[in-house]
Amino acid sequence: MTALSLKNINKSFGEIQVIRDINLDIKPGEFVVFVGPSGCGKSTLLRMIAGLEEISSGEFWIQDRRADQLPASERDIAMVFQSYALYPHMTLAENIGFPLRLGNQPKEIIEKKVQEIASILRLEKFLDRKPGQISGGQRQRVAIGRALARDPKVILLDEPLSNLDAALRLEMRIELAKLHKQLEATMIYVTHDQVEAMTLADRIVILNNGEIAQVGSPLDLYTKPANTFVAEFIGSPKMNLFPASITEGHPGETKINLIGSSSNLMVNKDIEPNNELHLGIRPEHMTPSDEGAIKGIVTSTEQLGSDTYIYFDSETKEQAVARLNGITAIRTGEKISFDASQEHYHLFSPGGDRIN
Amino acid sequence: MIQPSKTQTIIVYSSAITLGLILLCPVLWLFIMSVSSTKDLTTLPLQWIPEDISFENYIKLIGDVDSTSAESFLYALRNSLIVALSATFLSLCVAIPAAYSLSRLPGKRRKSLLFVAIATFMMPPVALVLPLYSAMASLGLLNTHIALIAVYCGILVPFTTWLLKSNFDAIPIDLDEAPLIDGANRLQIIWHITLPIAKPALGAAALMAVLMAWDEFFYALLFTNDIRAKTLPVAIADFAAGRVADYGLISAAGILATIPPVSMAYFLQKSLVSGLMSGSVKG
Ligand SMILES: Nc1ncnc2c1ncn2[C@@H]1O[C@H](COP(=O)(O)OP(=O)(O)OP(=O)(O)O)[C@@H](O)[C@H]1O
Ligand SMILES: [Mg+2]
Repeated sequence: MTALSLKNINKSFGEIQVIRDINLDIKPGEFVVFVGPSGCGKSTLLRMIAGLEEISSGEFWIQDRRADQLPASERDIAMVFQSYALYPHMTLAENIGFPLRLGNQPKEIIEKKVQEIASILRLEKFLDRKPGQISGGQRQRVAIGRALARDPKVILLDEPLSNLDAALRLEMRIELAKLHKQLEATMIYVTHDQVEAMTLADRIVILNNGEIAQVGSPLDLYTKPANTFVAEFIGSPKMNLFPASITEGHPGETKINLIGSSSNLMVNKDIEPNNELHLGIRPEHMTPSDEGAIKGIVTSTEQLGSDTYIYFDSETKEQAVARLNGITAIRTGEKISFDASQEHYHLFSPGGDRIN
Repeated sequence: MIQPSKTQTIIVYSSAITLGLILLCPVLWLFIMSVSSTKDLTTLPLQWIPEDISFENYIKLIGDVDSTSAESFLYALRNSLIVALSATFLSLCVAIPAAYSLSRLPGKRRKSLLFVAIATFMMPPVALVLPLYSAMASLGLLNTHIALIAVYCGILVPFTTWLLKSNFDAIPIDLDEAPLIDGANRLQIIWHITLPIAKPALGAAALMAVLMAWDEFFYALLFTNDIRAKTLPVAIADFAAGRVADYGLISAAGILATIPPVSMAYFLQKSLVSGLMSGSVKG
């Protein structure tokens, strides 16, 4: 088990800075997930950890060894590529055994290890085939198998499940979680699927535009998003952010005005008066109520069976959304009003940072 | 697979047959000449199908070892083989790492290097032959294999480098990075990954290189002067240079001279088939 540590890491391609001042300590055996929108620098950060991309400035440590100048082959870090990158001219057995062959291991040991990995990943039947003769899901497993061959202490995975269908994805996700327990390896996993992130991660790192927006356990990010970016990124459908203002407060109690609406919400907290706040409420925390402070007209509904999403134009904000359990009879065009209990309020400053 | 329509099939086949005939006709004529008697070849109007077929010319070249024509032909064959194969082998040894570095390693100046290499390839031989000749003369290398091998490497290296580089470019960069992560160094990557994947290109490059060296006439004519180093094109030209050109003999030598490269092409054709990349990366 290996700890990794990134200190003030920056990366520029020519003039363009794509990674900005990343500080991150990864504990031994931890499962860390990088998420973020496309182009935010997840792959680049992962490639810097792997040693495929030079670090423009900053320090990278593996355990207590400075590693930014260490060649990729000496880092003892395995990686599953976004594109699988299987060797097309080798059989699956040769693909999986390749890292061992480079390590000059005797044939019998390589064979034994390949068999072992193949049985974990249920690939025994295909070992004599070439990558061109198997399905996408099987290729995926071969790519993971090759990463496991050397018993690496750190495994990096770049969107490994992005090419699979939903059922296989779920299956592989569970498989990966099991593997992580079994191998006791440190894993860093890149995805832009937040379900994968929430279910697999010990800790999630949310990246936005090359910077860390927030680091924390999945539930931390859900219950206490540090800023509006994280608030909107985690959770589906995404959090409603209502423009709001606070004009007066009594000790122990603050009145929040929703802009454009006559109704107020009360919280039992002291908050500084401010005119340009955002009040965040997750769709699943909105409960229909006749006297609710958030009023609007339903524009569309989506019935998922287990849940119903209700999209409505509220007085404060267009296209707000609420998520109700089960099937509801609410129709487009109806007037509707919602309430939410105050422990589910998220207040953000005009700059987007969380106010406690 | 979509079934091609009947007219389509006919057009494709008749074009292929026409092309084949155009390509094969000269060879066929060469063969007919080589087995005809001199009389048949010189009568007017031309005797297309020889009256009596004789393999006498072939015997003169490879059967009857003591004759002068056999001596010059067999030595020339040996020289050609040595020169073409060595030049090809040495060029590939240089071109493979060169092409890899041009295709994969960073740096802007590398690109201009490739341009320079291609530019030397474009240069007409006449421009170079005098300085090369005096250099070889002062090194005492005239009329040796080494002289020709060196000159041919100069021609083949830029060509094979360029050919291989464009093929290496088509291999996804991930297939370089994956072995790097697996613990390979650059040479191991080239040996275990790049070359096996680029095998068709490698075969094509080797074949083209051998052919270019095999057919080269200009430098061979100027840098060699007797059987110790003369190559086949020069030797065949010598047959034509006497007072009476023996067309039958020349044709037979021509036919024999095509056998080594043709058989090489035949054995390489399996590796020339592409399509090795499938299944490596998704998408
Ligand atoms: N070699 C490169 N040269 C210049 N810019 C690059 C290079 N590689 C990546 N970038 C830029 O860096 C940014 C981050 O790229 P990166 O591949 O890390 O994104 P990502 O978060 O992995 O996105 P995705 O989810 O689409 O895979 C992008 O804006 C990209 O255009
Ligand atoms: Mg990426």
